[in-house]
Amino acid sequence: MAAAWRALGWRLLLLLLGPGGLARRAAPGPPPPQDAEFTFLLPAGRRECFYQGAPGNGSMEAEYQVIGGAGLDIDFSLESPSGVLLINEYRKSDGVHTIEPTEAGDYKLCFDNSFSTISEKLVFFELIFDSPQEDEDGDNWAEVVEPEEMLDMKIEDIKESIETMKNRLERSIQMQTLLRAFEARDRNLQESNMSRVNFWSAVNLGVLVVVAFLQVYMLKSLFEDKRHVRT
Amino acid sequence: MKSHLIGILLSFWVAVSPALYFHSGEREEKCIIEDIPSDTLITGSYKVQQWDIHEHRFLESAPGLGMFVTITTPTKELLLSKLYGPQGTFSFTSHLPGEHNICLQSNSTKLISFGGSKLRIHLDIRVGEHFLDEAIAQAKDKVNEVNFRLGHLIEQIHHISKEQNYHRVCLFPNRNMKE
Repeated sequence: MAAAWRALGWRLLLLLLGPGGLARRAAPGPPPPQDAEFTFLLPAGRRECFYQGAPGNGSMEAEYQVIGGAGLDIDFSLESPSGVLLINEYRKSDGVHTIEPTEAGDYKLCFDNSFSTISEKLVFFELIFDSPQEDEDGDNWAEVVEPEEMLDMKIEDIKESIETMKNRLERSIQMQTLLRAFEARDRNLQESNMSRVNFWSAVNLGVLVVVAFLQVYMLKSLFEDKRHVRT
Repeated sequence: MKSHLIGILLSFWVAVSPALYFHSGEREEKCIIEDIPSDTLITGSYKVQQWDIHEHRFLESAPGLGMFVTITTPTKELLLSKLYGPQGTFSFTSHLPGEHNICLQSNSTKLISFGGSKLRIHLDIRVGEHFLDEAIAQAKDKVNEVNFRLGHLIEQIHHISKEQNYHRVCLFPNRNMKE
């Protein structure tokens, strides 16, 4: 509500100051929060919480994935700024959640590894924000710019398509990051499997060689003649 | 003049745009892992607030408190180890592709940390160079604005293709051997 009043105030100011005088973008409200992605190590038996401020009436998407650690699972919970527990998941290895519309305030994301006593988990999570205000920019410009300034109108078209491209590219970066997390998880799994197979194969080989020596020694001892004393 | 404007706007950005924050013990070290290709610029900015036991809230700033920022390369070499104030920005360019560790630890000299003392660390890490949109919007020249936006787009495309190349090489390192 306050944001709408501020937007109106800005538009009036622009109109009063004359066309083309201040070619500044109307700024209704604080800038949208930056998309965040983090990979961190969660030790065994610990709980880590992250807080992120969100604007009102926007949309927030939270994705997380466990990419390392035995079991590859973790507890995830999401709390709204008013303290309501929105999401509570137990022992999941990945998840995607969208909250729309968002309340204004700080959301709390928690990752819990308390159920595991020995294995630490490598967790990746990503927060993506879509602000509803971005669609209004096109309309603001169309209203403020005078119809005589045809050249400016064409530049506005270019700017709109650039904005669309930028949003799409940001989305591809996010998709890439998610795919990378999947690949990292598979790679970690393969590497831990390989080290385990190597270790137990070496143990098997050792046992094999020892048993071979034991058998040869036993057979040799069967043919030894200790009782007869040669005269 | 323009650099001053960008500098002022950057400082506003740190304060105004809501960043991710988390809580940490006073002597605790918190680390973030970033898997990035080579020759990528990482810019991180943080702000630390201290919990006031008497007022039961976080102070607006923590004067006298500094943060050690330690960055290690995938080969466990030290890339950056520096003490910053309660609020700071750091950046580094990766030479090797792989997992870099960014660790933050306060320089609090308290030997025993009480249960009530903790820090709130606001952290924002950006991968790749990004022009700040607020500075561009101030430009009255529309053609320059389009110019800046196109530059930003080109740089985004370069960043995506660099990441794609890195992951293709990283995931299939033996591909050349077979072919």
